[in-house]
Amino acid sequence: MRVLSLIISLLALWGVSTLFGSEAHWQIDMGSFGLEGVVIGLKATALANFFALLIAIGFFSISLIASKYKLSKGFYALLYLLLVSLFLIVYAEDYLLFFVGWEVMSVTTYLLFSYDLSREALIKYIVFALASAMSLLGGIMVLYSASHSFLYTDAHQGFIALSATLQVIFILLMLFAFFIKLGVIGFHYWLMDSYEQSSDFFTPYLSAVLSKMGIYALIILLVYVVDIHMISGTWLAYTLAIMGLLSSIIATFKAVNEDSMKRLLAYSSIAQLGYIVTVLSMADGLGGALYHSLIHTLVKLLLFINIAGIIYMTARSKFSELGGLIYRMPQSFVLLLIGIISLAGMPPLAGFASKFLIYTTLLEGGNLLILSAMLFASASAFLYIYKLIYGIYLGHPTSKRYETIREVPLAFLIPQYLLSLLLIVAGVYPGIVIPYFNTILKELRLETIPFESYTILGSEMASYNGFVLMSAFVGVFVLILLFMLSLRSKAKEAKDRFDIAYCGEVPDEGTHLHYGFSMGKELKRVGFIGVILRNSSSVFYDYISRQLFGFATVFRKLYSGNLSFNFNIAALFALILLWWGLR
Amino acid sequence: MDEGFLKEQQVMESDLNSETSHKSSVDFLMDWFRRRSIFVLAYGTGCGAIEMPPTFTSRYDAERLGIRGAATPRQADVIIVSGYCSYKTLRRIIRTYEQMANPKYILALGSCTVNGGMYWDSYNTIKRLEDYLPVDMYVNGCMPRPESILEGFMALQKEIGDGKISSWQKYEDNYAFYRKNQEAVLGQTVAPAYDADWYLYDGGL
Amino acid sequence: MIILDLALMLITAYFVGFIYYGLYRNITARFQRRIGPTIFQSFYDSIKFFGKKEAISHGWMFYLGPIIMATGAIMTLFFIPFFYQSESFSGLSGYGNLFLVLYLMLLGPLGNAMGVGVGGNPFGVMGVTRGLTRLFALELPFYIAVVAIMSISQSADIATIAGSQTTINAFAHPLLFIAALFSFVAMMGQSPFDVVGAPVEVYSGPASEFSGKFLSLLMSQSAIFSFAKLVLMVNLFLGGADGFFELLWKTFVLFLFVIAFGAIYGRFKTPQSVDFLIKVPTVIAIVGLIFATAWGN
Ligand code: SF4
Repeated sequence: MRVLSLIISLLALWGVSTLFGSEAHWQIDMGSFGLEGVVIGLKATALANFFALLIAIGFFSISLIASKYKLSKGFYALLYLLLVSLFLIVYAEDYLLFFVGWEVMSVTTYLLFSYDLSREALIKYIVFALASAMSLLGGIMVLYSASHSFLYTDAHQGFIALSATLQVIFILLMLFAFFIKLGVIGFHYWLMDSYEQSSDFFTPYLSAVLSKMGIYALIILLVYVVDIHMISGTWLAYTLAIMGLLSSIIATFKAVNEDSMKRLLAYSSIAQLGYIVTVLSMADGLGGALYHSLIHTLVKLLLFINIAGIIYMTARSKFSELGGLIYRMPQSFVLLLIGIISLAGMPPLAGFASKFLIYTTLLEGGNLLILSAMLFASASAFLYIYKLIYGIYLGHPTSKRYETIREVPLAFLIPQYLLSLLLIVAGVYPGIVIPYFNTILKELRLETIPFESYTILGSEMASYNGFVLMSAFVGVFVLILLFMLSLRSKAKEAKDRFDIAYCGEVPDEGTHLHYGFSMGKELKRVGFIGVILRNSSSVFYDYISRQLFGFATVFRKLYSGNLSFNFNIAALFALILLWWGLR
Repeated sequence: MDEGFLKEQQVMESDLNSETSHKSSVDFLMDWFRRRSIFVLAYGTGCGAIEMPPTFTSRYDAERLGIRGAATPRQADVIIVSGYCSYKTLRRIIRTYEQMANPKYILALGSCTVNGGMYWDSYNTIKRLEDYLPVDMYVNGCMPRPESILEGFMALQKEIGDGKISSWQKYEDNYAFYRKNQEAVLGQTVAPAYDADWYLYDGGL
Repeated sequence: MIILDLALMLITAYFVGFIYYGLYRNITARFQRRIGPTIFQSFYDSIKFFGKKEAISHGWMFYLGPIIMATGAIMTLFFIPFFYQSESFSGLSGYGNLFLVLYLMLLGPLGNAMGVGVGGNPFGVMGVTRGLTRLFALELPFYIAVVAIMSISQSADIATIAGSQTTINAFAHPLLFIAALFSFVAMMGQSPFDVVGAPVEVYSGPASEFSGKFLSLLMSQSAIFSFAKLVLMVNLFLGGADGFFELLWKTFVLFLFVIAFGAIYGRFKTPQSVDFLIKVPTVIAIVGLIFATAWGN
């Protein structure tokens, strides 16, 4: 099975790559099946290919670590079904197939979750997934009422033909559906538990790929239906910008306070997707959104696989139970370091390129407050980013076991090496993906990103040279290193991890030295951050569920358990209806 | 000057002076810088600790001589043992001293560090600090005023500048002796073995 | 040629930075009615630590931590042009922009945080946490001000921003300047925002485990970094410089202000400083931004 999954993932990668540049197109008129005028089709557009590539990369990465997990045949079967549904979503040319793909994706995810999740988390997930699907269906129906076609090509005509109220309803229904998948803050209630409890094998895919379907759907909505050229200044743009920013800021501070590695990364995922949602509120933002989607996919795959390796070796998933693994697992440490540098958007690596593109678009669009809020959110992210690496690798081990633990297996390291290589290459050559993005943008008739050479990214307002940056960085680093090594003063290696300046005291096994993992607790005392940390959307959803429960008890009263009585009532209703209908 | 204590002093000093001529130019330069920059561990024992704040603040302003405080032993050059030390304090002093980076110096204040002073017959203080750690400079008095402490520092600086001090070397070379004395009052739990790694790890015990 | 330029920039920043640090100590001493050390004192300290016979190390990441920090500082310096017109002393600024500099400024502290974390000293981590907490608070007003400046000059190129000021930004947009100054005081680690390396509270914070040459490297990079930050502020708000003399007096005036500010205030607690920074300067900055964009042009 493991080998098969690897082969299938390679096939998927190869298949997607063959579609690049091709105009593969397949359409069928459902008239012959009794559905007059319904045309469905698949089309390999450049945009679809890009997201298909993300799907394939994600699947390839997790199929590399599959050998370390005991997964049943059913699990694999569902995984392949999920893969098919994802490809269906991206390659669909109409909302009907898109909906089918979306629904199959939601249900297969549910079934995959059912292997690991607790009952409560499962119910949360399925309720939200169904709400998303239903509202998507509603949105599609509203659109169909005007366009009488499911095809994306007719969607814009239909949208314009809708009355103003129906337009708003349509957009709200669609946004609701996609925000749930993206886990935009307020709609993320299902997401935390699902991320935390799902199999470590599946979480990378969940964060890196499944959430990107929300982005893809949003892009489809904005580009094909609403027409992104007209978006600026509308309420839709403000909704996207505000929801995106709220996601990034709130999720960032929430992440700081988490003790579980996977929950922290789940919040980080919400925050990063928030940037993408924000930047989609601008007509020029699509390039930045695509770039950031790419980087986020690579980074989150890397980070979640890294953490999967840690959990595989230690069977612990909380910062308070880990620590001090760096010299036991140096390779994992360096790989996670590359991951977090990219996540933070630090210059020499690729994370900076995508953020830079987003920032320049915002600056050129004159969205200054959004830009500063986004910079603020990404500066705040350092806290949880440091917590992530400190809690696992730095500080002191919280268990004696970790002093003899070994490096994670090669199966976990290989995908991480590949991903970090991609990140480094994209850091040195930040413009390397721009030509491809430009074909996407041209296809969508949007303004392209200025492109000079592979090493340069940016426009006339601001640009930077990744190659110069990286070589200067490496050069300065090596020079300082050589200088330090050449000094007569020798670096005396500490013989014991307790050899620390500790106010004259001698710490030992019993001393609690790894308390840095709880950093972020003091933020509760800061005004508005405290407000964020103390409140949660669960209050709202609990309220809703209580109300629903109360509502349901009223209905339950009708069903007393006495069958004949209920039958009589039903018959009465039927009679009344019949009479009303006849009249 | 031809006899007695002063003569003896002269003989000793000439001996040290002849040694300085062998210094390499780098050493000479480094000593010059070491002399001008002295980080003192913010650590006080005994009564003398009360004299240190005035020494370092506006009234006497030790910083004009390049002397300033450091919070952790990793950054300090000088540790001041400012008076009597009980066994409990001694353990911390030893631990801290061993954590300081070479070259490091000890300045001892007051008569208590020389011979026990008025704590001579106390049940829980040590008498001669010299037995436990290599002292570079004594400042006498009970307790010494900030002026004397500054003078002590200046004398220390002069010796550092001349490259005469190698007490940390003495400590490492004669570790067995010091360790024996330390264990005599503190038992086996003096300082952890990794502190004295030059002795206990590299072919020592 | 460019190598020579970079080397000259580095040397200038190194010496000027150390002399500024010496002046800082001397002037603070005068504020406290002391004589204070010579202006070369920080330089002596640094060289002495380079010459320590040994320095404790906790493995390779500990060794690399200060090096990454110094690399970050030097990179920041290289991407900030000293003068807005001249070819020389512009370093690599042609290959970068203000966003890059803003991020490079954060690179060093994050790299050093790795070294601190691996050192295993809990006080160090406490200092890092304080630093990162203060960081996002101080960045908020600073970013708003900087973004407004970028929008006003319609460029993210530092030399262009510096050269395009007819009246210097500090006078043309005083609110933005004031907001940025608060952040700048915090960035320079001055009171009342000096929560990171507080010697009595957190055992000198991130530096608590660094000794000898590592500490010295940290001191040197902090001198270089401070000068880089000063030059950045001069470029953004004080109209840049056209020659060494102008650069020196402008940076010095700014530096003097920071010293004076720091000398008269006590220290905030960490939550207090965050609370202050995300309230007062941020509101000032937002008002300044609205003025600058809505009514400014
Ligand atoms: S010498 Fe005098 S002042 Fe100093 S510790 Fe002893 S008794 Fe106290």
